[in-house]
Amino acid sequence: MTPLAIFPYTEWIERSGLSRWIREDSLWAFPIILILHTVGLAFLVGANVALDARILGVGRGVPLASMLPFFRAMWLGFWVNAVSGVLLLAAYPTKAVTNPLFYVKLALIAIGLAHAESIRREVLRNPSFGGTDGPGASRLLAASALACWLAAVTAGRLLAYTYSYLMAYEGR
Amino acid sequence: MDFLPFFDHRTFASVYLWLESTRISWVMNNIRWAWPICESIHFIGLSLLLGTVGFFDLRLLGFARRVPMAAFHRLIPIGITGFVMNALTGFCFLAGTPDQYLINPAFQAKVVLLAVAGFNVSAFYLTMFRRVRRVGPGEQAPLFARIIGGVSLCSWIGVMTAGRLLTFYRPSFYIPPN
Repeated sequence: MTPLAIFPYTEWIERSGLSRWIREDSLWAFPIILILHTVGLAFLVGANVALDARILGVGRGVPLASMLPFFRAMWLGFWVNAVSGVLLLAAYPTKAVTNPLFYVKLALIAIGLAHAESIRREVLRNPSFGGTDGPGASRLLAASALACWLAAVTAGRLLAYTYSYLMAYEGR
Repeated sequence: MDFLPFFDHRTFASVYLWLESTRISWVMNNIRWAWPICESIHFIGLSLLLGTVGFFDLRLLGFARRVPMAAFHRLIPIGITGFVMNALTGFCFLAGTPDQYLINPAFQAKVVLLAVAGFNVSAFYLTMFRRVRRVGPGEQAPLFARIIGGVSLCSWIGVMTAGRLLTFYRPSFYIPPN
């Protein structure tokens, strides 16, 4: 195994108290963080699934503006996952930063959030739609947002199967 | 740790034998990407389920009260699709390594929670659905419907929690006698 230039940095994190605590010392920290990351995902992606499905024409009787509170649930899910994600990264930094798919996942989340923000501003808060369906452009936006979120979930799930290094200087 | 201590590997030995003889089991263990792909589908299904059924429960509990219930109920087929995706991929995992699931306390808890969710949803459609359909924008669902919504949300979050705990409660592999 060739050590990468990033290893001294990730090794420094791996030797930190927080990283060791999550990874080795605590029996429950890792499972609890993982559970939070999954439930957070369900709310983050779930809220977007409902919003995007509605804009794509499912449940047309639901006024678009009435779904604005879904964004609160979405952001709650996002922040739970941002925090739990940072903790998972602290536990296994080498595993994540040496996997290209990790950056694909982060990019997909960023693009998904940008889509959600456009949907909120330009579709849900657009008074000219008056509770009716938006134009074709909003459906395209919703379809593309949905694709981003489902791809982000897939990329995240595949991280467990595609990493090349678990830890820096493992076994030394 | 045991959840249902009266079950051990011997209880399920013949079930293991049957599941391991299925073609699905072979695919899960011999096709390199089968397991990761099923995992991805399982998590997409979970998102579809929580995004529709979970938010329907939240609406029952008073969240997003301007959403009319009858119209929002049209999103439920998406949640059923997610559930079916997860039942199918879940069976694939089970067939793949049955001895890692059936006596796993997290798996047993997951099955119990799924049964709770199942009874709860039956109770909803048998007792409250017709009244809930008439709950319009700004209106509150009846108390019993709110209770059902709370039980539903808790049981699905419980199912996800138990699912995530599966790896941490994996039993030893079953070694058949000769």
